[in-house]
Order: sequence, then C-alpha cells, then structure tokens
Amino acid sequence: MTAASGRAPRDWRGALDWVAVHSIGIALGLMFTLPIVFVLLTAVMPDEQAFTADLWPREWRWGNFVEVFERAPLLTYLGNSMLYALLATAGMLLSSIPAAYALAKLRWRGRDAVFLLVVGAMMLPPQVVAVPLYDAWSGLGLTGTLWPLVVPYFLFDAFSVFLLRQFMLTIPQSYVDAARVDGCTEFQAMLRVVVPMARPGIAATALFCFLYTWNDYFGPLLYTSERPDEWTLSLALSSFKGMHHVQWNLAMAVTLLTMLPAVVLFVLAQRSFVRGITFTGVKG
Amino acid sequence: MTARRRLTVLALLAPAVLGFAAFFGYPLVATVVFSFTRYDLINPPEWIGLANYEYMLGDELFARAVGNTLWFVVVLTATRVVFALGVASVIARLKSGVGLVRTLCYLPSLAPPVAATLVFFLVLRPNEGPVDTFLGWLGVQGPLWFADPAWAKPGIAAVVLWVSGDLMIIVLAAILDVPREQYEAAELDGAGPLRRWWHITLPSISPVLLFGVVNSIILALQLFTQAVVAGSAASGSADVTGSTKDLGFPENSTLTFPVWLYAQGFRYFDMGYAAAMATVLFAVSFLATALLVQRMRRATHQEEGA
Amino acid sequence: MRSLPRAAAVSSAVALAASLAACAAGSGGSGQGSGPAAAPARDAEFSLTVWSNYSGREQDEVTKALESFKEKFPNAVIEHQGSQDDDKITAGIRGGNPPDVALSFTTDNIGQFCSSGAFQPLKPYLDRDGVDLGQIPDAVRSYTEYKGNRCAMPMLSDVYGLYYNKELLAAAGITAPPRTTSELLDFAKRTTRRAADGSLEVVGFLPSMPFYANRPQIWAPHFGAEWETADGRSGLATPEWAAMLEFQKRLVDFYGHDALERFRAGLGQEYSADHAFHRQKIAMMVDGEYRTAFLADQAPEVEFGTAPFPVPDDRPDLYGTGFTTGTIMGIPKGAGNPGAAWELIKHLALDTDTVVELANGIKNIPSTKAALADPGLEVDENFRTFVDLATSGKLRGNPVTPIGDAHIKAVGDFATAWQAGQVPDVLAGLREVDRRVDEQIAKSGK
Repeated sequence: MTAASGRAPRDWRGALDWVAVHSIGIALGLMFTLPIVFVLLTAVMPDEQAFTADLWPREWRWGNFVEVFERAPLLTYLGNSMLYALLATAGMLLSSIPAAYALAKLRWRGRDAVFLLVVGAMMLPPQVVAVPLYDAWSGLGLTGTLWPLVVPYFLFDAFSVFLLRQFMLTIPQSYVDAARVDGCTEFQAMLRVVVPMARPGIAATALFCFLYTWNDYFGPLLYTSERPDEWTLSLALSSFKGMHHVQWNLAMAVTLLTMLPAVVLFVLAQRSFVRGITFTGVKG
Repeated sequence: MTARRRLTVLALLAPAVLGFAAFFGYPLVATVVFSFTRYDLINPPEWIGLANYEYMLGDELFARAVGNTLWFVVVLTATRVVFALGVASVIARLKSGVGLVRTLCYLPSLAPPVAATLVFFLVLRPNEGPVDTFLGWLGVQGPLWFADPAWAKPGIAAVVLWVSGDLMIIVLAAILDVPREQYEAAELDGAGPLRRWWHITLPSISPVLLFGVVNSIILALQLFTQAVVAGSAASGSADVTGSTKDLGFPENSTLTFPVWLYAQGFRYFDMGYAAAMATVLFAVSFLATALLVQRMRRATHQEEGA
Repeated sequence: MRSLPRAAAVSSAVALAASLAACAAGSGGSGQGSGPAAAPARDAEFSLTVWSNYSGREQDEVTKALESFKEKFPNAVIEHQGSQDDDKITAGIRGGNPPDVALSFTTDNIGQFCSSGAFQPLKPYLDRDGVDLGQIPDAVRSYTEYKGNRCAMPMLSDVYGLYYNKELLAAAGITAPPRTTSELLDFAKRTTRRAADGSLEVVGFLPSMPFYANRPQIWAPHFGAEWETADGRSGLATPEWAAMLEFQKRLVDFYGHDALERFRAGLGQEYSADHAFHRQKIAMMVDGEYRTAFLADQAPEVEFGTAPFPVPDDRPDLYGTGFTTGTIMGIPKGAGNPGAAWELIKHLALDTDTVVELANGIKNIPSTKAALADPGLEVDENFRTFVDLATSGKLRGNPVTPIGDAHIKAVGDFATAWQAGQVPDVLAGLREVDRRVDEQIAKSGK
C-alpha cells in the first residue's frame, strides 16, 4: 500500500468495483434463492403445517422425500422425462442448427419472409393449436405415447431456430466468408466455423430445450396422461391432489426432486459457456 | 442465387419446412376455419360465418382480456429485457463465484410455473407473509398483492421476472460470446468499462436482445398458468396443478387473453369462439412483430448487410 | 422458395378436411340411438377402462369399489386411471380413444356432456333394465341430466350446510346456530372481533364472493333464488336474487369492504390446514360435508357444529334446503364396451353396499335413498346434518346449462362488483347479467 502509492487509486477503485459488483451478485443470488428455500421448507413440513403462514417447519420430516416414492412410481416417470427431454434436445439440434444457419448466414430471396414465419409460429396460443394436433395424433393412434411430444423437435422448433439464428448473427460474417474463400462448402462452413464459434449459444439453446421439455406439463398431460406408464415427472404433482384436499408438502417435495436433475445438469453444462469465451479468443 | 445455393438452402431447411407445415401451418389453417364455425369439440363444426367475430365486439370480458394482456406485453417486455441485461452484465463482471451466482439466478426458472407462482403468493401473503411482516416492522402497510385488482398484475409480473433466468442466461451467453479482441482493441484506445459495454457489448448482442424482446412479447401474449394460479390462490381455491375455478380473480384483473380463450373453448365448450380469438391474436401479434423486427433490423443491423 | 408457404397451406387444408371428416365419421358411435348395447354374460371375459380425477387415497377407495364389480362379473378386468380431468375426457372422445366409463367432478359440464352427445344417453339402458330412478334424490337426479336427456349417473354427492364454531358462538352468548338470515347477520356481528387498530381479527360470517364455498350456486337455494325463468331463459333479475345480494351487502358494509378484503386476503387456502375455520378466524361458514373429515383430521381442537344454512325470515319453508353436487359417471361416445360399461355404472350408482362402503371411504354423502338409510353408513353428529339434508327432499342441484359454468361466473363477477359498491341498481344489474348469459347460450346453439 505505502510502497506503490502511484498505483493506490487504481487499486482502490478496483477494490470498490469488486465489492460493489459482488454485493449486487450476492443480493441477486439471495433474492433468487429465497423462494426456493420456502419450497424446501414446505417440502419437509408435516402435512398440517404446509401452505400455512407458519413458514419454519415445526418438525423436520425428511421422510417426505421417501414417502413420495411410495406414493408414485417416480423412477418410471424419471425415465420417461429423461427420454422425452433427451430425444427432444437431440432432435432439436439436428433440425434447428441447419435451419438457423440458413436463416443467419446464407443470403437468399425470401429469407426475411421465412424468418417472420418462424417468429409467427410461436404466436398461436398452445391451447388452440393443441386441438387439431391432438386429433391428428390420435388419428395416427399415437396418443398415450411420447411420440407426439418428441417428433416435432426432429422437424421444427420455432423457439430454438429463432434463438440459434440470433446467436449466429452475433458471429461476424467475415469468418464465414473467409471459410468460403478457403474452399469450404456451406455445410463445412457451418460445421467447422459457425457451430464451434456459436458453441455457447448452441449449448444454451440445447439446455433450454432440455429444461423446457423437462418441465413441460401441458404436452405430457394432453398426450400421455391416459397411460401412467408413460407419465413424466412433471405430471407427478397431480398424484398429490384429491377432490377436496391437497398435500402441499409432498407436492413441494416432488417439485424439488423434479428440479434436482435439472439443477445438476445446469451446473455441469454452464461450463460450456465459459469454454466458449476462451475458444472464441483463440480463434481470433 | 445459384441453383446450387438454392439446393443448399432447401436441404438445410427441409425438415423445418415439413415441421412448419405440420405443426404450424395445419393448426393455423384449422384454427382459422374453426373460427367461422360453432364447434363444441364433440360434434362436427357447423359453419356460422362471421358470428363469432360479431360476438367478440360486444364481449366485455374480451375487451377486458385484451387490456390485461396489453398491460403484460408492455410491462413484461420492458422489465424483462432490462432486468436480464442488467443481471447478466453484473454476472459477466464477477471475478469469483460466477458459477454459483449464475446457478442461483437460474434456479427459479427450473421451478414448475405452478409452484413458482404459489411460492410468490405465500411470500407476499398479506398480514402473515414474510414480506408483509417485514414491511410491518418498518411501519408500512403492504398492498394486498394478488387479492387487489390494482396489484394482481404487478404481482404476476414479479413472478415472471423472477423466473426470467432463462433470458438472463441467453444474454449472458451472448455477452461472453463477444470476441475478446474487440474489447482488447477498445481498451488500448482507453475506453472504460462503461464505454466498452455501451459501444461493444450492446451492439454485438443486439440480435439476442431482439430475441429477448420478441420472446417477452410472446410470453406476455401467452401468459396463462401464472395468471390462473394467482387467481385461484388469491380466491383461496389453489391446488397443485392450477385450479380453474376462479378465472380472472380478483375482478377479472388477471383474466388474460389466453385465460379467456381457454374459458370459452374448454370451460364453455365454444371452440369456434376460442379459435376466432386465436385468429385475432395471431393476426395482430404477427403484424406487430413483423413491424418490430423490421424496425429493429434497420436500427441495429446495418453491418450485417442483408 | 416463395411458393413454399402456399404449398404448406394447401397440404394442411387437405389434412384439416381429413380430420373434420374423421370427426364426422366418429359421431356414429357404437350402438347409440339404436337401443342399448347388450350386457355381457356373467362369466364373460372383458376389460373396462375407467377414467377419474381422483388420486392417492381417494383413488384407492374408488378402485376398491370398482373391484367389487367382480362379484357380479368375476372375469372382468378393470383398469382405473386417475388424474383425468374433463379436458382429457373430451380430448379422448374427440380422438376416438375414450375410456369405457368416465367420472367427472365437474357437474357444471353435464349440459355439454348430454347435449353434445359426449356421454351416451342412458335412457335405453334404464328402460331395458327397469331401473327405478326414484331411489335417487330429486336434486341429485337434476344435476345428472339435461333437458330430460339422462346421460350420467351419480357417484356419491356433496351437500352443503352451515358450519359454526361452538366456542366463538358461546363466547358471544349464543347457544344455538342461526336459523334465519337476520339471526345470521346478528350472530355474525356479535362474534366479530376487531383489534385495537380497527382491523378484523375474527369475522363472524365472511360474505365475500368468491371465497371458499361462497359461490352463487351454493347460496342461492337458501334464498329461494332460481336460475331460469319458466320459459328456460336466464332468470336472475328476481326479488330472491336481490334479497340474497342485499343480505351479502349488508354484512360487507358492516365490516367495511376494504377491511374485509384485507382480512380475507390474509386467510389460508381452502385446501390446506390453514383454512380460516380451522384457524378459528371465522365463526360461521357454508361448506360441504367433506369438511367434517378435514376438521377432525387437521384441527381436532376446533369445537364445531353443523346445521342447515339459515333462510330469510319470511321464507321459513325453505329451512332444511341446501345445495348439492357430486361426481358424475357416463359412457363416453365411442366407448369400446358400452354394454359392460353400463353394468359397471349401475353397480357403482345403485348397489347399496358398494355405495355405502365408498361413502364411508371418501366421506361423501351417498347418492341413493337406500344407502342414505343404511345402518352401515358411518354417521357422527356433525355428518348427520348432511345426511338429513340429503333425505329432506328440499335439496337443489347444480344449475345446468350447455355453457359450462359461464352463467355462474357471470353471477359471481356481478356479486364481486356489487359487494365492492360498484353497482347502483341490483335488479338492473341482474338484468344485464341475464342478457349476457342468454347471449352466451344462444351462441352455443343449444
């Protein structure tokens, strides 16, 4: 401190900046976490305390997490959720990356119109779209299975195409042009230049696809609820609702159990964003 | 455009075209057709011309639902994008604990929407809830939140913001995606962190911000679960999967467009009318988005040179 | 490229036409209209799928009752699928893969189920088997049919009456529950307690709508308020409805609308142990018989009594009336085995032992007169009130329309606006509600 007085102001500012940014970070973290803590507290309460104004468990019933497994075949549901989310994500990557590339990095007539249609595809209320689609799937005899949920992702997912396109737009066009000059075909330019550079975006899109399908309630309810063997974890909540009664503590325990794999996945996957920076840096 | 280029485009888009036709084109056409019919979901639709659209003009709750949804479009679009950008910018500058804070911020989006809304309801519960108790210590009487027609929508907006970790992560990924050499060049020119943010970060991630805007508009237009759960919880009849007993409670302040559409289609068995509502929603929001996308493109994307 | 969207539109229009044709083709259904499907032979092997919206313990009880069907048909296999709501039943019918028997909690939808043909007409079966519907209480019959078309049978019912907190009433010097609305008003005022700052601590009777079971359809019978005019139009602009709303307003004004809203916003959920009556924050309320089981289970310290809900002073004849609704069972259009499905429905609806056991299992009111009188029915003092109401012959069923609960929401919305003081003229306001309900019904074309 005393020795390098010339650098002191800069250190001071750096320290202040560090403190400010980190306290905001901590505050944000707390704000985001507290409600989850309430879910946890509710999950370990006795039934007669859950969903009351009394927020601290009178008695810690960790056994609730065991009880939910006795009440519903959660492992079967877990397997179905995995299958749905993994297949949907894989299908989304196969179908959406090329489409996004064509919309972001190729120039062709009608591109803007097609892009608008992609955005427009997200605008129809799902409640209405579901009516004709359900009829079509049951015409094919495929309701009661995961097919109606998974197949669309192998063809077209508007959200992902849109998101990926926007990510690809942030990659300077010069990189793609350079690849073309080097003699790459479009397909090679996409796979060797754009996909690696957009890796954080692709990872994020894949993650969202996975988590969206993981938490999807409406789809599985519509298509698989008649066959309990095909239920996903998101449907398990309905096992804790009676005609005139709700077991809030068990419902929250299941909510947490449903979230757990997603949280683990997120913690593991977020590294790919970090890797993204270094990669881009090396590339330049 | 060479024939070869055209073939490439077609090959890249082929699955999407097929999927688009099947999962969007077909339901859209069906919806428009249904909108001219009386359709109780069981018997074949019966053609009634423009009757559904005429009814809409006199439907007070339709007007109410439009107003509520517009409120969400304006408020959510503004707050969600600013919020995501702000939080992501802070996280991007963190030197330690990045992974932890990022995870914590994203955590709420992993909660099922029903649970997320109920949690907020409990936390904000008047008189006995923690927030109200805290405000009581400060000598402030908190609002009734979900039970007050003036506060129910802000309450729901708070829930939606709280679960906006997904957009935040997207923006964060985009910020981290900005090629580092651009910053280094600017730093050499003596630009401070704020100027670098304004002149490099913001323009580079503008496509992703546009995504945020459009995504928020769609989210607001389709706001359903949170509104239904908030309404049923405030009236005292919540259940774990979202009871549809008290749609719009209190005083129809949470009756969003999709909620009223759902009520008409599935509670009152008038899918024809619901389809007419969907058609109107689609037409209006599609036009609005088209305008928005074009304008944003013009404003932010000269360098892309389409 | 440019022609692509058009191609997509054309192909999907074709697909749409195909799907509409499929709908029309499905509407023939199996054997409906052309007489009842034959009952299976006693030793026939068949399987039936049953969809209900039960879960957990209640689902187990219903499954047990379904299994008792095997006493009649030993080779039957019954698959009971819980957590199926009405949207799901409708989707199953439309898609052509409905269950053989559908159970629904939503009696509001009976008008749609019957008039659309979603549930098959049961009259041919009733006639063939010579079933005497007189064994089902009138009110329960009323909510299982629409305009003379019986398309459902009841499986147990809920009956609503007055709950009162004995301690809170006694503390105010009241020894017997109110019988008239002016007594209710008086007792409500006397049992109300305010804190030093004027905020409400205990509310004698909370009149806000909607709140717990404070719903127009549940209140209406006690005021003699009817839903329809003689010619089948919405008939809410009557002195009875006005009297009901005036009563409500008088209590709201006593508490003060804002103070009441603040109090009520802090109360616990209907389906939690934090229910205001469990927590002794309201002294009296209207609720169904199932509450007795929850009170015994979750709040054994609450000393409560039950009684018929009070009636206006000038209508003593109404005392002993009440609202009733319940689970309904039907054979969906396109059901694979309607003949056997009917046998199962008949068993669940009318077999006294089965009904009694089920009622004991899930603590609901039996829906046949024989089961109501059966000595095997577990009845304590508080549950007795509801059994008596069910046998009084004065009950009123859920109002039936082809528009689901649109009419109930319309009245509920009106009551909410009215209690907030936003309506200057009650009858004029009710006429407006009538107009809107009639328009909605006209729109449905039924």
